[in-house]
Amino acid sequence: MTLELLEGSEAIAASAIAAGCRFFAGYPMSPFTGLLESMSRLLPAVGGVCLNAESEIEGVNMALGAAAAGARAATGSCGQGIALMQEAIAEAALNETPFVVFNMARNQQDYFQSTRGGGWGDYRTITLAPKDIPEAVEHAQLAFHLADKHRAPVIFYGDPLIAQTRVGVSIRPLDFGPLPPKDWALDGTRSGTGKSRQIWTWAMGKATDPGPGPDRHWRAIAAKFDAIAKVEARHEQAHVEDAETLVVAFGSAAKFVEYVVAELRAEGHRIGWFRPVTLWPFPGEALAKATAGARRVLVFELNAGQMLDDVLIHAADRSAVRFIGGVSIAESGLAYGELMDAPVIRDRILAAVGEGTRS
Amino acid sequence: MERELVVTGIGGQGIQLLAKTLALAATREGRHAMLSADYGGEMRGGPSRASVVIGDSPLRALPVLASAWSAIVAHHRFSEPALARLRPGGPAIVNLPLVDPSSLPPMVVYGVDAAAVAASVDAPQAIGFVLLGAYNAVTRLVAPESLAAAMEELLPPYRKQHAAANARALAAGAVAVRPARRAGAEVAG
Repeated sequence: MTLELLEGSEAIAASAIAAGCRFFAGYPMSPFTGLLESMSRLLPAVGGVCLNAESEIEGVNMALGAAAAGARAATGSCGQGIALMQEAIAEAALNETPFVVFNMARNQQDYFQSTRGGGWGDYRTITLAPKDIPEAVEHAQLAFHLADKHRAPVIFYGDPLIAQTRVGVSIRPLDFGPLPPKDWALDGTRSGTGKSRQIWTWAMGKATDPGPGPDRHWRAIAAKFDAIAKVEARHEQAHVEDAETLVVAFGSAAKFVEYVVAELRAEGHRIGWFRPVTLWPFPGEALAKATAGARRVLVFELNAGQMLDDVLIHAADRSAVRFIGGVSIAESGLAYGELMDAPVIRDRILAAVGEGTRS
Repeated sequence: MERELVVTGIGGQGIQLLAKTLALAATREGRHAMLSADYGGEMRGGPSRASVVIGDSPLRALPVLASAWSAIVAHHRFSEPALARLRPGGPAIVNLPLVDPSSLPPMVVYGVDAAAVAASVDAPQAIGFVLLGAYNAVTRLVAPESLAAAMEELLPPYRKQHAAANARALAAGAVAVRPARRAGAEVAG
């Protein structure tokens, strides 16, 4: 296996293209810009198209259009730009157009944006949160697979460390199993008059061929997301069997927590970690099991407490949950602040452990 | 085994390029490498830091290093955060006379006058490569020819005319580096 030293953004772009992504549109914004630049450099060589859109709103709607035509398409930004994309993401979820949204976020403050969404209607967005670049390379491909499998937009939640660090990676197409044919795509194969397909959020159909209408359609969409929630939740955990203290974290923060927990275990602490790999569906049942024997459940995230809500919903005992994260932003506003640091995380965990436990 | 390097200096000294060269050299040797960069918006004179981790298996190190085995200190300005992360006993290369060897934590400190050495081989722009050559002579993290090949590979077409001078700087740094201080004690001469 030959390793190439790639910046995370470049590795993610190359991996998405290896997965068959052939259309990308977005508007520059740090730290997303590197992904857009990589796509613009790499996509034409494989016959793909990359467009610098007029704004994020155009970018996401271009991706929606390309996806509706059957292409593997994606857009991206950081949370600030993805805020502008919410209407299109909601529409795509409700009209079942699969594409990928790469959130190369500045921090972890987009958890609610990713998992609750800011559009309208009964929809959810599958959200993958890799902990490092090798996993981001895998998720860049898994995101397209899940989008096509469920005919739904999927969010990839990265960050500055994943976007801008360089590591040795090997990129090759990954096989996640068979997918249904895109027999819904507006690809011109139905030869026109009277036989054209339709993708419509309200599903009213045509005068000559009525659709199910919004009530039936949106019930079906809601049922689909219920079904996705049952099968697509992913997580990782370690040392939960004997952990008195369990630390829950996602994305890069989870990698830091994993590092610190390994140190603390080597020093004799009975501590473990739990990481939601998918933020939605949140691996709630797994978290309930993992926290069943823990005296303390510590939540570490670099925001004011967003995933905390999901942990409180699912933890075996809410009273065991403590928040040890917080807002921490670099002076530039474009990256993490001082809290994304192993010694600081270690101090916060030890302080929480020292605060006593539930009886 | 994983080996971590922090490089600290100011914009214009070639900090980012030397770190990238080492990371690429290790990658081309089939090893695992990680490179993190941290620099200000200024072209010259602002803080410039980088870290490189090299290992023979997938790396455990974090992109923000919890601690580091070794250092290249090209300039004393802005160096305190990097120096605070160094583990005692490891090797460090300091750029003499800009950096006072006694300002470092208890490490095995080596020195090289990178500007003088670079000028002596008619490569005045290549002090970063002098420091890298010195560092690799001490640590032997990669083969010297891997460094030279990585340096050439990283040069854009419009900079290829500097390849020979950069190679001289790498080699000269390796020859010129001298012990400056043992862990906990000054070294005479």
